[in-house]
Order: sequence, then structure tokens, then C-alpha cells
Amino acid sequence: MTLDVTFELNGAPVTAAVEPHHTLRETLRSLGMFSVHYGSDSGETGAAAILYDGRLASADVILAASADGHRVTTVESLNVSPDLHPVQTAFVAVGAFQSGYSAGAMILGTLALLEENPDPSEAEIRDMLSGILDRETAYVKPVEAVKRAAAVLRGEDTEPFAPLVLEPLTDGYRPAAEPLAGGEIPDAPQSVPRLVPSREVPDMAVVGKPEVKVDAVRLAKGNPAFTDDIEPRGMLYAKVLRSPHAHARILSIDDSRARAVPGVHAVLHYGNTPRVKYASGGQSWPNPHPYDQVSFDDRVRHVGDRVAAVAAETVEAAEEAMRLIEVEYDVLPAVFDERFAMDPDAPKVHDEDDTTHICDPERNLVHHMTAQRGDVDAQLAAAPHVFEQTFRVHQVQQCPIEPHISMAWLDSDERMVVRTATQVPFHTRRMLAPLIDMEIKDIRVIKPRIGGGFGAKQEMLIEDIVAHLAIATRRPVRLELDRAEEFYASRTRHPQTITFRTAVDDDGRLLAQDMSLIGNTGPYGTHGFTVQIVSGLRGLTSYNAASKRFDCHVVYTNIPVPGAYRGYGAPQAEFALEAHMEDIARSLDLDPIEFKRRNWVKVGDEMDIAPHLGERAVAEEELDEYPKVMSSGIEECVAQGRREIGWHRRDDESWKAPADRGNIRRGLGFAFCMHGTAIPFLDMGGCSIKLNDDGSFNMLIGATDLGTGADTVIGQIAAEVLGVPLDDIKVYSSDTDMTPFDTGAYASSTTYISGTAALRAAEAVRERLKARAAMLLEVDEPCTIELRDRRAYAADGRSVTLEEIALDSLHWQEQEQIMGTASHVSPDCPPPFAAQFAEVEVDVGTGQVTVTKLVMAVDCGVAINPVTASGQVEGGMIQALGYAHCEEIVLDGDGRMVNPSFGPYKIYRADEMPDTVVYLVQTMEDSGPFGAKAVAEIPKDGVAPAVRNAILDATGVAINDLPFTPERVWAALQAES
Amino acid sequence: MPLVTAYHRPASLDEALDLLSSPRRVALGGGTTLNADREPSDLEAVDLQSLGLDAIAATGDGQVRIGATATLDAVRRCDLLPDSLRELARIEQPSTLRTLATVGGLVAKGSAESLLLAGLLAHDARAELAGPASECSLAELLAAGLPPGSLITAVTVDPSGRTATARTGRTPADVPIVAAYGRRIEGFVAMALTGVGDCPVLVDVYDPTAGLEPAGDFRGSRDYRLHLAGTLTARVVQELYP
Repeated sequence: MTLDVTFELNGAPVTAAVEPHHTLRETLRSLGMFSVHYGSDSGETGAAAILYDGRLASADVILAASADGHRVTTVESLNVSPDLHPVQTAFVAVGAFQSGYSAGAMILGTLALLEENPDPSEAEIRDMLSGILDRETAYVKPVEAVKRAAAVLRGEDTEPFAPLVLEPLTDGYRPAAEPLAGGEIPDAPQSVPRLVPSREVPDMAVVGKPEVKVDAVRLAKGNPAFTDDIEPRGMLYAKVLRSPHAHARILSIDDSRARAVPGVHAVLHYGNTPRVKYASGGQSWPNPHPYDQVSFDDRVRHVGDRVAAVAAETVEAAEEAMRLIEVEYDVLPAVFDERFAMDPDAPKVHDEDDTTHICDPERNLVHHMTAQRGDVDAQLAAAPHVFEQTFRVHQVQQCPIEPHISMAWLDSDERMVVRTATQVPFHTRRMLAPLIDMEIKDIRVIKPRIGGGFGAKQEMLIEDIVAHLAIATRRPVRLELDRAEEFYASRTRHPQTITFRTAVDDDGRLLAQDMSLIGNTGPYGTHGFTVQIVSGLRGLTSYNAASKRFDCHVVYTNIPVPGAYRGYGAPQAEFALEAHMEDIARSLDLDPIEFKRRNWVKVGDEMDIAPHLGERAVAEEELDEYPKVMSSGIEECVAQGRREIGWHRRDDESWKAPADRGNIRRGLGFAFCMHGTAIPFLDMGGCSIKLNDDGSFNMLIGATDLGTGADTVIGQIAAEVLGVPLDDIKVYSSDTDMTPFDTGAYASSTTYISGTAALRAAEAVRERLKARAAMLLEVDEPCTIELRDRRAYAADGRSVTLEEIALDSLHWQEQEQIMGTASHVSPDCPPPFAAQFAEVEVDVGTGQVTVTKLVMAVDCGVAINPVTASGQVEGGMIQALGYAHCEEIVLDGDGRMVNPSFGPYKIYRADEMPDTVVYLVQTMEDSGPFGAKAVAEIPKDGVAPAVRNAILDATGVAINDLPFTPERVWAALQAES
Repeated sequence: MPLVTAYHRPASLDEALDLLSSPRRVALGGGTTLNADREPSDLEAVDLQSLGLDAIAATGDGQVRIGATATLDAVRRCDLLPDSLRELARIEQPSTLRTLATVGGLVAKGSAESLLLAGLLAHDARAELAGPASECSLAELLAAGLPPGSLITAVTVDPSGRTATARTGRTPADVPIVAAYGRRIEGFVAMALTGVGDCPVLVDVYDPTAGLEPAGDFRGSRDYRLHLAGTLTARVVQELYP
């Protein structure tokens, strides 16, 4: 029954024909309002928030029919000219958008708030934002944007948004003098990054500057940019039938009733789809074994596993068909806990005969990895102090607000085009080819704007489904996961059980560290090998010890599938390591920072176990040379962080046990953090730059900007080399037909690897520009030409513009296309370092922990863009806080997730955030572009141990399992008392 | 969301009641519950927005009458109501949902975890109904459920008294695992708890856990919830009698 509904849309009446079940979100998108995005069906993400009669409201839960007679406003209402509205400008100016998936909602909320109250308090701003979940920014810069917009609309002047530059507190190598020099804590809004420059880093024109993101305008306007923002003609909608059982054989599938549903074009399952084995993790060729998946199997191994897929004219027809597929299951016993997966009587998750390279399928043992340096057993036997602790870390989900979404079609040349929200377009193309029996050359993967990924999209997750269906139907096919599927049918973080044994001498120096780990990779290997390897790497390279050993078992279970998640094994390991080190310090009556300092790796120290771990690990026991730490700003990080958090209050009993709040105990915690920058000898990025007629440049990169600002940062690197403003670099990423290869957005590699590729490509272009300028200026030595301010200068001050060079080279004499292409792979993996601090309040009567402040001082080398870098740290810390504090995938006894929606699965929202302060401590990393190292993942590493150690400081209770939920903390307090 | 096969927007209460006499038809307030339901059952929506039930007004006897289709955001903004109740309306739903969610929907859903419902209970809330029954206390309605063929038209509360709240959740804005809301008036304390039963309940401040049999879940076991019930009640009482 179609209804005609009439409402006012952005000031003009519209009439739309809708079905009774259509939501206002669906209707608005059909009317071209692409700023209204899907985050869930229940409206709590706010990605589809609009103004409904002037008030912010989620269009997900409004029936289109209900909107009849109402006034609806979307952010497109502001796009009446090329210029931005002041509210849009404010969000752009402070770097408030990362992926920008919910940009429209935030801008509309701001408009409504400021119309009602031109001078809102921060609490009122945060309340407005409470309905817009942001997984990326920690709300720090969005709050600043609202304040700035309010000021502008009140007619007040605003300063350009820029970092607060601070004097160092150390000489860069030694600890700060006690008491800390430097006076008061710097006074600035928390949104402002604190920048401690290095004397080794010169001032530059574009690099190091808080440039506005190259994609900010399109995001602020809500222009169609994301995967779902185009709709090929004749598109079909796909849905996936998923297993209700954690482990079962499919005895039969009867799809006849499903196929009979009007509008259904294809039903695929194991009975009609080729059985081609693969591993879904988006990794370099050759993907790590085992290849234990097929597109559709006759066995399901977790609740939510694929059973069948349907393509139909409408979502409703696809859903109806799904309900009519009759599946007969033989339900099998299941195992969920990694600690029991290797038991002799545990059910076997993989007993098929066509999966090879499983270490021991009888024990569900996928991999057994070991690495050793020195004689660990001898050291443990002889040491004066030996400590052993076991830690358990849990399963969480990445929670990008944009769920997985892909569409596929055959183009006019019958090539497969896949438009998909992926972090790994090139890996996806290669991995997809054998599954659909096409050659790589006949597949094109387009990565549009992505609404967050955090590792979940480092996977070839649903692209094979839409491609299979596109082949079967010869129609474009679209598949989008709903929020529940995103939780239990995409990817998650690996649960682990980690045991550390550490030998320490009487001076508090480590003699040996023995790390044993059981990693739970769920039913499929995917990233199971490499994530656990990174856990070992992070667990055993942060501190010096003569002897080290890593012993790791990766096991199959029947939980939702773990995969890549920002940090990639490091958060698990660093929680265990930093908790363990804290407890050792307390046992030895040593200051924890001093004890850790005594042992942490410093400039010149070898990372000796690193080459023995990894995809391309070295088998030999001894190498002639080991990678060394070449730059570290950790002492400055510690000094700045200690001052900011007020570390001296650990000794102030009146602060720790406030007299007026008898149930509250306060504490401070610290964690030392060390991460990696890219995978040496493996991660590779390419870049191509060409000169245009007007002296601007097109830059094509394979790198994948997830919202991190990679396009901007890489553009800044090229702009610096070419002597032009960032706006003259037009960045396009990434499309397997158009852009050079890149391994993808993972392993904290983009700035370092893809940025260096851009640097090299720009240098190649620069050489040709200099040569052409020398020709025009009649200078004999092109090397004396300098590029700056869009001009090429001779040594005597004469100059030509880049436009003049472009016109001359493209149209006039000795014509050529000036362009440069380069790629980069690094033998190095320079670690960024950070000092993470946390301040907590523990309610000892209930166990509730409230985290009141987080401070991270991070050495990421040279921050190419301090605003985007600080945004990465802010967002990363709050994701990490969720891991520590409140997020958890909870399964019932049958393996069903009991909390697959936001709310029950709790992520932080704007009106409950701790203060978050970011310090960027510069060092010069010679191997990185303009001195840069990584920044995106290290914020995930230290929050959980810092919070744990703060709880310990507050209460004396050490908790070794995550997360720190009220009942867990209360039970620990009870046990202690 | 469920497959809504037909949409109705009645212009009068009688028309609404007539439409709702069919079991396939469901009252639609703000949509935050009905449209967020993931169960795929077919139903017809009866949208109440044109019934004129959204007013919030003082009554002659010192009470405040909140129309059933008044949104939680309207409650938050209403200065006839005590600040404590307005704050509960604010925290009940985030900004993008409280502008849609209605008081009638809140009552009809009767969520065990609703702190606003607990607040209404402590303020002696009574529900006005259209249909076979005309009025009952909110406590009775929550315990017995909405009589078949009935529609909530308003909730009336006594705004007077000193109030206090205590709650425990995973994070500051989390839906509380257990919460206590107390209202002191003329030497008497009305204490309502969430998270300890099938719906928010009024308890005896001297023995707050008496008769409670909370179901445990991953956020809090039965025993932990009982512990919180006692602890949080004591804290509220302490705040009401400083």
C-alpha cells in the first residue's frame, strides 16, 4: 500500500510515495539527501539525525508516513553557495571530522542548539552531541567546533586553531629534574594539542602545520562520498542468512520457496557456489595460512556464520526470501574459551580434509609459534626475584559507525567493479579473483570515503558475496550489514590469555621475560597468526632483558570471528605487560616509573627478538645485526604527562580519599607505550603525481584514508616538496584501476610508507620542474633552483610560476607531461613511544570506576599535521578506554551474542567523557618522511593498563581481567577486604 | 524494524481506540521502541500524533499532568516539573531520541531499567487511560500491564518534595545497572528502584531488598543487584536527610 506523504524538506514542500514501513531515513536518501547515513535501525548512532520540526532527531526510527505535515531539515539546506555556513566552517577549522560519517548530524545539532541558546555551556554542547555516537574523535574537537561556531555567530573574533607550543622539560634523553621544571600546567582547551618541538626539526611551509583536511568541505556539506551514496540503475539488494548455531553441519538447504518470492533473483549457498578455499584477512601475498574459509560452506562455525545469500529487488523481498530458506542442521558441540580449546575432548572446529596448514586440527591448534633469545630457563632458575602473572583479555568490536557495505556490478566490458568500504582495496582485488573465477585484471575495486574501519575493514568480508550475486544476476548488487551483523558477523578483537614470567635482579633490572599466550582466533584463521605475533613483539621488545621467550598457541573456537583491530595485538600484550611491570615494581618497593625507566628500551638499544617474529621471520638464531631504536622522546613524554596529570598527588592522601566523599578513592596510573611503524620489508605504498596546466597537481595514491587524515597528510608531504599550498595538491585515493598499489591502511604504515612514496614521487616531479625552470630562466644548473610559493626561483631572485612551467611544458616547447611515480618499502620499523596517564575515581561501595582524565604524551616523530595527529590520539584513547572499561561482546551458553546493539554494548558518548589531553613530543626520525613516525595505533596501547594501575593506586586492588565493570571491581574489592 | 503493513493516523481518541481494537495494530508514539524493534512481525501502526495529547500543564490540585505524546524532551524543558525529574528525562534517552520518545511510550514499555519511570513512581504518578479502564496508579499499571483495548492518555505527578538519586553503571551515562530515586515529603520517603525486577518498583526504605528477586545478567548478577539496591537506597536516604 503506497502512501503519498508531503512534508517540508529544507524549506520547500515535497511529496513522496512511500510504503508504510519506509523510514524517513530511507525516504530522505531516496530524495538525494545523502548526508543522512545508516548507523543502525534503532537510531542510537545518530548518523541519520536530522532536524524534525527544528529539533535533532534520528530519522531511523521515524516512519516516513509519520513525517507527513512536518518540517524536515538536512545539512544540504546549508549548501546554497560554494561557501560554507559558519557552523560548517567551524567544524572544518578545528579538524572536527575524521571520517565525517556523522558530520551532517553534528552540524544540524549545532544549528538547533545555537538557535535556542547562542552561548551554550560545555555540558549543554555535550548533551546535544549525546545522541551522535562518534568512534573517532572522542568528541574533543566537535565540542570545540560548537564553541567556535557559537562565538562566530555571536560576532566574536576567533584565532586560527593551532597547537600550543611548549618548552621541553628535559634535554630529550634524561629524566626531568625533580621537582618538575616548567611551572604550571599549560592552560589551553583540551582540544588544543600541546606541541613540544625538537630543535632538530626545521620550520617548514606546509609540513607540521595544522592544515585543513583536503576532504573537509565535502564532509561538511554532506556531499555524496561514501559507498552507499551512489545507486546504480537496476540495483538489487542482498541479505545474508546466518547461522543460529555456534557449530553445526548443514544437512540440506531447500531454497525453492525463497526463489519463488516475487522480486528474488538469486539464492546462493554451498549447493550452488564453487568451493574455493581462502583466508579472509586483508594481507600481503601470500596470505598466511590456513585457507580455512569458502564463500558458502556446508558447515557453520559460529552464530552468525554465513549460510546463504539472497539478491532481490527490495530489501523486504530479500528478507522474506531468507525466512523461507529451509535449512536442516546437525547441531554440534561448540567451544568458546581458548583455555579449553586444546583439551582432548573439545569439539573439533575444522575436521574437513581440504584445509591444510593447520598445526594440529585434533587440538584446534592453528599455529604454534615460538621465539627465544638467550637462556630463559636458566635465568628464571637463578634470578633473585621471579614474578609470574596471568591476564585475560576479552572480545570487543571495532564499531565503525558505517557498517560494512559493498556493491558490485559488471561494467560495459564485463569487468567486475566492486565499490566497497575497505581498508585494503588491492588485497581485496587479488583475494577476490579466485573466488569468482575471474582474473585480477578483470576486477576493479573502488574505495570511496569510508565511515571508519579500525581494522574491521582490513578484510575481504562481504565483497565475494556481492560479486557472486552480481555474476548470478548480471545486475548491480548491494549488501550492507546491519548493526547486529556488524557485531557478530564481521570482525572483532582477539581474546587472549597471557602469562608473563619475569626474572629481576636486586637492582631492579630485568634478566629474563617469558611470555606465553593462548590466542583465540575463533572459527577462522584470518589474522590469527599475525595479531598474536604482534602481541609477542609488543610484549617482548618494550623492555630490555638478556633472555626472552615467546610461546604462543593460536586456537580455533566458535566465537564470532576475531580479526584486525587498531593496535593489532598490542593492546592485549601491553595491558598484561604494563600491569605485570607495575606489580613487580610494587613488590620490589620501587617507583613504577623509575623501575620501568630502568628497563625500557632507549636510543641505540636492539630490538633483538623482532626479526624472529612475523610473517617473514628470520629462522636463524643469531643475526649479524638487529634493528635498533634510533629515536625516542619517551623521557620528555613522561615529564610532560606527569606534570599534566599531577602525578605528585599519588602521595596526597587527602586527594586520594576525599573527606567529603566517603565512598570515593582516587588514583593515578601510568603505562609506558611502544608501538611499531609499518611492517619492515613488507608494507609498500605507491604514489603518482602529475602537473596540471595551472601549476596544480593531481596526486594518485593507493593509500586508504579511513578518516585518519591520510589524504591530507600525504598531500602535505608532497606540497612541502613542490613548494605549493596544500590546496594545489588534488588527492585521489584509492582505486585499483587508477591509483598505484598500496598494501592498505593498517600497521600504522600510511604516513611512513605511503608518505615516503609521495615524498619520492614529489621529488621526481620537483627535478623536472627545476629543469624546466632552468630552461625558462636560462640558468645552467637546475640544482640551484628552489621551489616555494608556487614559483621556481633562481639564485639571483628571478622566478617563474609553476603555471608558466606547466603551460610551457604541456603546450609550447619540448612538450612533456611532468609527472613522477614512486613507491616505498622500508627496512625499518621505527617505534613511536608514549607515556599514558589515567586518573580514576573508584566507588568502593559499588565498584563503579569513573575515569576522570586521560593524558597521552606521544613521540610520533614529526607530526606532519598536529591537528589530525592529536585527533588520532584523542579518538584512539577513548576507543581504548572502552576496551578497558565498558565494552565487551557477551555470549550466552550457546554462543549467541546477548548485547549486539549500542547501549548494551556500551561505547562512550559525548556527555560522559573524561578530560583528554594530548601532547605531541617531536623527535626526528631520519627514516621517515620529514621525520615522521606512526601515531594512529599507539593510543590504543596504554589506557587499559594505566586505568588498571590507577585503580590499584586508588584501592590497592590489582585486577588482571578486562573490562573493569562495576561488579568485577566490586568483587575484587570484596575479595581483598 | 518490523514490517509495517499499514499506517493509520487517527484524529480522535475514539478513532484510535477503534483502530487499536484489532490485535495486529499497535500504538505508535515517537517510534523509538516500535520502529527500533528488530523482530520481523507484520503489524499496522496507529500513529497517535494527531490526538492532541502532548500538553504538559499544572492541574488545580498541585499536580502536573503530562500528556501521553509529550516527548521526553518536552519533559526536560518543562519548568512545572522538579529539576530532578527533568534531569531524569534528559538522561533517559540521548539527544536524538528523546525528541521523539513519548511519556506514553515510556510507560507502555515499562522498562525495568528506566530511571524516569522510577522517578514518576516516586512522584506518585497516576496514569490516565482511555478505553475500558480510566485511571490507575503507575505502580499498578507497571505491575499488571496495560489493559487490553486501553490507551494511555496522560500521566499525572505530584512535583513536590525533596529528591535524590543514586545510580551505578559502567560509565557515567550508561543505563544504570541499578538506580535509586527517592522523594521525601512530610516525613515520608518514596523510594523507587530500577534494575531489580521486571519493571521499576517502589520499595520500603527500611528494607529495600525485601521481596526483590532480580534476574542477573552480564552487567550485574542477582546478588550484586541486591547489594546495589541496599547501598544506593541508603545513599539516597542519607542525601534526603543530610
